[in-house]
Amino acid sequence: MKPEFELFDRREFLGVVTRAAALFGLAGGAKAVAGGQGTANPFAYDISRFQKTDPKLITYEETSRWPIPHKEARRLAMGPDGQLYVCAGNYINGLSRTGQGGLELALAGPAWCVAVAPDGAIFAGLRDHIEVYDSKGGRVARWESPDPKTWFSGLAAGRQDVFAADARKLVVLRYDRSGRIIGRIGRKDAERNVPGLIAPSPFLDVMIHRDGLLRVNNPGRHRVEAYTFDGDLEGAWGKAAASIEGFCGCCNPIGLAALGDGRIVTCEKGIPRVKIYSAEGEFESVVAGSESFPENAHVCNDLNDCVNGGLDAAADGAGRIYILDIVAGNVRVMKRKD
Amino acid sequence: MDAKPPAHDPLTRRQFLGNGARLLAMTGLGAAAGALASRASGAGWVWQIDPAKCLHCGNCATQCVLEQSAVKCVHAYAVCGYCQLCTGFFWPEPNQLTTAAENQVCPTAAIRRRYVEDPYYQYSIDETLCIGCAKCVEGCTRFGNGSLFLQVRHDRCLHCNECAIARTCPGEAFRRVPAGQPYLLKTTSR
Repeated sequence: MKPEFELFDRREFLGVVTRAAALFGLAGGAKAVAGGQGTANPFAYDISRFQKTDPKLITYEETSRWPIPHKEARRLAMGPDGQLYVCAGNYINGLSRTGQGGLELALAGPAWCVAVAPDGAIFAGLRDHIEVYDSKGGRVARWESPDPKTWFSGLAAGRQDVFAADARKLVVLRYDRSGRIIGRIGRKDAERNVPGLIAPSPFLDVMIHRDGLLRVNNPGRHRVEAYTFDGDLEGAWGKAAASIEGFCGCCNPIGLAALGDGRIVTCEKGIPRVKIYSAEGEFESVVAGSESFPENAHVCNDLNDCVNGGLDAAADGAGRIYILDIVAGNVRVMKRKD
Repeated sequence: MDAKPPAHDPLTRRQFLGNGARLLAMTGLGAAAGALASRASGAGWVWQIDPAKCLHCGNCATQCVLEQSAVKCVHAYAVCGYCQLCTGFFWPEPNQLTTAAENQVCPTAAIRRRYVEDPYYQYSIDETLCIGCAKCVEGCTRFGNGSLFLQVRHDRCLHCNECAIARTCPGEAFRRVPAGQPYLLKTTSR
């Protein structure tokens, strides 16, 4: 007679137990992930594809890296003597290409930018005013604040003019060497066809190019603009794109430098990277991709604006590029690959 | 033979009901006092997220005991850059700078984008839609000024003694703050 209930044999019993255990395991794993004990974030803001640089595009290699003497670095400038000038905290340091210390200027407050004129005069941009030092470190002058809200974030010094980028008032001020303001560049002006500078954070930069024009980054418009010293907009290039040929995020580039042949070096934050463009703005290559700056992505560590990250760069006559990593507090010396 | 008086006087029905009512009243009073005492001790401190420690991990959206999390994105307008290409609103490489769903970071379209003047836009949070996933916070913090950040909204929070999100927060960003100052808000140094 056939039994009413078929009994499991040993093999079937073990199979059922194994399947049940597997199901429990899966359920437990899913709960662990949902419970935050796993690593998967179902709401991840995934930009990983933009954080890997095609090795074929990287034309520079790091030859050395050295720490800067003080914390809270901001900007880097190349002096006529081949020395690098770094502003960090309340100091400006003149350093050799290998990071050996020389001149140190102690300032009354944090320095946000620095420039050195062809005659060696050093210009320190404190938040709301400029201080002038001779090449030996003696203070020559203090140029008073042009506006209570001024926030200088970039400086360039020529033989007769000094240009100061004010990220708060969205203007580049043109000073003569006595400290008198003789021009305002980059302000929105429909009659002069100037759309206006946009700087959501204090990363407006300015440099004097070998072609006799200024280059000013316009981070909110994701481009680099060329101005005459008198403030005429001569051209602009750049586009918003997270891909390598564009400027990523809300507001980039944040820093500019020029190579001896006129090509332009740009620095970005968010996806921290340093790239080279032709003087006309055609993307050429990558100096260092975001994988080189792992510490530089998250820089919001207090209850204020996130303005503590980013990169800056300077170049010397031999084509070497010096990258200041603001977060890591070091300078990388980059040489073109053979 | 005389009947023996009982050892204890029996309760009359009236007495029994009176005693019962008093007992009930005392129990009720005790319970109410206990509840009040418990509330009073809980009201001194509430849970809040320290934006400086938040890792934007997504746990706030999935771990809260409420069906829709009590954690919401909030916006510090003073910190905001009013960017045209806001990376809290748009993917880093949107097809277009429009409010089309495929361009938006927020999975529930909880961020409103409003034109101010060229090229500025204002962004505001619809808290009824926000699930506290922090996707926008990551985009804003990574590229921008970090004006978008998460906070526990106390009109929704159940004030659990052991917050289910805090238990799993990898950045240890949850902490107790005085109920009189229940928010940790961002400010601008500009």
